[in-house]
Amino acid sequence: MPNLFDLKLVFTQIPKLLEELPVTLELVFFALIISFLLGVVIALIRVANVPVLSKIAVAFVSLMRGTPIIVQLYATYFGIPIFLRYVNYYRGTEYNVNGIPGIVFAIIALGLNHSAFDSETIRSAILSVDKGQIEAGKALGMSNFQVFRRIIFPQAGEVALLPLGNSIIGLIKGTSLAFSCGVVEMTAVGKILAGRNYRYFEVYVSLGIIYWVITLVLEFIIKRLEKKVRVPKEAPELKAEELEALRKNLQTVSAARPVKEGVANGVC
Amino acid sequence: MAFVEIRDLSKKFGDNQVLDHIDLDIEKGQVVAIIGPSGTGKSTLIRCLNRLEKPESGSISFHDQKYDLTTKNHKEILSLRQHTEMVFQQFNLLKNKNALENIMEGLVTVKKLGKEEAREIALREIDKVGMLDRINHYPAHLSGGQQQRVAIARALSMDPELLLMDEPTSALDPELVGEVLLTIKTIAQEGNTILLVTHEMDFVRKVADRVIFLENGKIVADGTAKEIFDKPSNERLRQFLVKVKMLEGSEYNI
Repeated sequence: MPNLFDLKLVFTQIPKLLEELPVTLELVFFALIISFLLGVVIALIRVANVPVLSKIAVAFVSLMRGTPIIVQLYATYFGIPIFLRYVNYYRGTEYNVNGIPGIVFAIIALGLNHSAFDSETIRSAILSVDKGQIEAGKALGMSNFQVFRRIIFPQAGEVALLPLGNSIIGLIKGTSLAFSCGVVEMTAVGKILAGRNYRYFEVYVSLGIIYWVITLVLEFIIKRLEKKVRVPKEAPELKAEELEALRKNLQTVSAARPVKEGVANGVC
Repeated sequence: MAFVEIRDLSKKFGDNQVLDHIDLDIEKGQVVAIIGPSGTGKSTLIRCLNRLEKPESGSISFHDQKYDLTTKNHKEILSLRQHTEMVFQQFNLLKNKNALENIMEGLVTVKKLGKEEAREIALREIDKVGMLDRINHYPAHLSGGQQQRVAIARALSMDPELLLMDEPTSALDPELVGEVLLTIKTIAQEGNTILLVTHEMDFVRKVADRVIFLENGKIVADGTAKEIFDKPSNERLRQFLVKVKMLEGSEYNI
């Protein structure tokens, strides 16, 4: 029987592929920052319906969602240098077009692409916050920023957590396309390795295992986060002795405190 | 000068004049109940007083501090809101915070108190409404009546000069109304100044120092509970009381 599938190779070449894991993680990390920050900004612009900017945001989201990520990667990879050459030509500047590492284009393309999707997730999460919750904060005397920071953000965050987790997972796998910008990350290394020994199937199985494990770790983290932000199903009961201690403490405090003015005056 | 003075309060929704040049004085420690048919602007009236709604005209004064209720100045609105607190029909406890945290929230973020001090005040207030054993419960774990009692404790912890209550028992199951009314009665007897919108006429009769009948955006009748319920002078008021079964009607049948 010929050696059609080299199972051993699938595992022995994983360490070689993992050498480029930092590049993949670097892509994910920076693209994530861009996509999240820009996503929040776009979502806020659209929720607040800022004139002009809101229209631009709608067009941007439509463009980013309506074109394939691979097209966007090539478009940034070729487009930004062309743009810079024009700038150099007309303004007499001397930007070094070839000095920009490919990873920058990949980060920009992935970040912009995901920001469009994330903005919609974040927007719907913000809109899902009950008006009564916001009014409660206002009635307490909170400023608009405090209402956003203390009420809208945490409650919308809870809603957005799972879909944003989806988006991050999508982003991790999206980095496998960064080779089109000349970035040598894990998948690119795999292609190079397979080019030498023609073991393409084995290398893609290896890559599949690695991406899956990364996703499993991420799923675990998201699950932990979810548990942290969700209101527990069961009411946390107060122990009898804790309650007793609270009661005692309250009695000593109220004994030391002057009675409320209204009661003292006998206003009823 | 009255403790709280409301002057020339008007509010329109589209062409609908919900509040029509309302003047109202409230004395310290008074419990004022607003009654009237639905859609006459009872809730709108108290929502204008802390600028959850923006009226077309009106002002409110607390002793010598006067606020233009139409102001767009954010700082002024925040300052106004520190004089009042609101108890909502739907309780509106922050759902991702437990009972104690809900009460501490305003003390920490708005009054800028330290965590320890805020906690002490919150514990005192929550004990007063009889919810000390449930400080760790989240709103989802509490019944409507319990949520509303926590909401009342939250409002009182901020030490408001005027407590606004917007139909505090309307969203409750009948068997839970009693506990909330009892809580309101207690805080009324403690000397809090309260402006209350409610449909609980029996409760109004027992607890309110003063009753205001609002119809079509105008104060049609204003007097003690006895004057309003026992010898209603106004024909519209009489009809309303017949409808809510506080008066025997001649042609009353089911």
